[in-house]
Amino acid sequence: MVRIYVIDNGGQWTHREWRTLRDLEVETTIVPNITLFKELQKENVQGLVLSGGAPRIGLNSTLGNCAEYLDKAAFPILGICAGHQFMARYFGGMVQPSKLPEFGQVELTVCVDDDVLFRGVPKKSVVWESHNDEVTILPKEFIKLGESENCDIQAMRHQKKQFYGLQFHPEVEHTQFGEQIFKNFIRLCEE
Amino acid sequence: MFHAEKFIEKTILNLQKEIKGKALIAFSGGVDSTVCAALVNKAIGKQLIAVHVNTGYMRKNESEQVKQMMEDLGLNYRYIVASKEYYTALKGVEDPEKKRKIIGEKFIRIFEKVARKEKINYLVQGTIAPDWIESGGGLRDTIKSHHNVGGLPKDMKLKLVEPLRDLYKDEVRKVARALQSQVSERQPFPGPGLAIRIIGEATPERTRLVREACDIVEKEIERASDQGLMERPWQYFAVLIPIKTVGVHGDKRAYGNTIAIRAVQSVDAMTCHYSTIPHDVLDTISTKITNTLKEKVNRIVYDVTNKPPGTVEWE
Repeated sequence: MVRIYVIDNGGQWTHREWRTLRDLEVETTIVPNITLFKELQKENVQGLVLSGGAPRIGLNSTLGNCAEYLDKAAFPILGICAGHQFMARYFGGMVQPSKLPEFGQVELTVCVDDDVLFRGVPKKSVVWESHNDEVTILPKEFIKLGESENCDIQAMRHQKKQFYGLQFHPEVEHTQFGEQIFKNFIRLCEE
Repeated sequence: MFHAEKFIEKTILNLQKEIKGKALIAFSGGVDSTVCAALVNKAIGKQLIAVHVNTGYMRKNESEQVKQMMEDLGLNYRYIVASKEYYTALKGVEDPEKKRKIIGEKFIRIFEKVARKEKINYLVQGTIAPDWIESGGGLRDTIKSHHNVGGLPKDMKLKLVEPLRDLYKDEVRKVARALQSQVSERQPFPGPGLAIRIIGEATPERTRLVREACDIVEKEIERASDQGLMERPWQYFAVLIPIKTVGVHGDKRAYGNTIAIRAVQSVDAMTCHYSTIPHDVLDTISTKITNTLKEKVNRIVYDVTNKPPGTVEWE
């Protein structure tokens, strides 16, 4: 059984991320974002999900020890919403208030052909959103994986590390291929 | 995957360890509290006392049915009518968070009274994941204070037991089915009841209007889905919006309130899509509500908001 922890940044759907992982037979626990990296190492964590957060924290907050995880982890990390925004900021990108925030149903367009995280996900699919801010400048070492009409950077990946960021929420029931995305992430963590 | 049988087995063992002596369960008759009561009943038997409070904000004939259900389930129960108290406490209150907190506290005070009299130290609640998630605390923002979490008074002395805390509604239903409970497919109904389906002050008169409207919405939607005209929504009800608009009733000017029809599809209440109700069904509901509530309601609207950005209930 692969072990993937959910880092709680205070999102409404943190527990949903935990549930999705558990439903896919992952050994998972929700831990506060002030957990030290060495404590995660001690428990042989093989992957992390950085949850979304309380309002606007993606914009300028430090998100507990998330920086330490991004600095030290050799395993895959999936940042969702505020977790994604923080990842972008940490690697030198920029996050700003959205000109048109997205809430609810949105069409995602995947703009690469061969990415592991989007294996089995069609070029266009329905995802659900809930954000006031967004990544406006992609960090240098990242490539863009997906976009929507009103948000240019819906998904991104580090070029060398297995760090992914998603603005939309793969963990909620109404995101069409959310479970597939989680399955792909779990496979990455297993390798 | 979530395994209902394993969950039941583990929970009963935990409850036997956790509860020493008597326990009281807040019993609304919905899926969560009924499943919870069944589990605790299996764990401690007659040491469990179910308490149902008729707040005055229950649906049509609901409390009487709940009483019958407690009887049928063979629960050791107390049935408390407190509608006057609730109406008084909510007099002049318009803010939805205040309503929720007043109702939450009132529940606890009533439970405390029973607990003191019967020497009970534990309060069992059917709290599920969205209740504490949306109530906020710590890093998490408060979306709404669920009466059983964010609405609990700080000085409460009863020890809380919440065996369903990590479950969502679909998982509670799985447990209910495994327990062969009759209520497994019942639609959710919030603890604060009709009080949060009335925008503004929840007076007895407004409660009467929204109760009647909810009853019509429920009956017509159930009829339509039983006939295969539509999928049964996850939750479906009416909301009273005390905004008056002009109408015409038999050549006479009318000036009455508005009712919104709300129905959503969901699995876990954390995201919801508004339901597609066929226009014929909406038409029947609209005519029935306006004809039944006559001069009080002369406009019906249909809520087409998803969650997010909306929530299921309006308050």
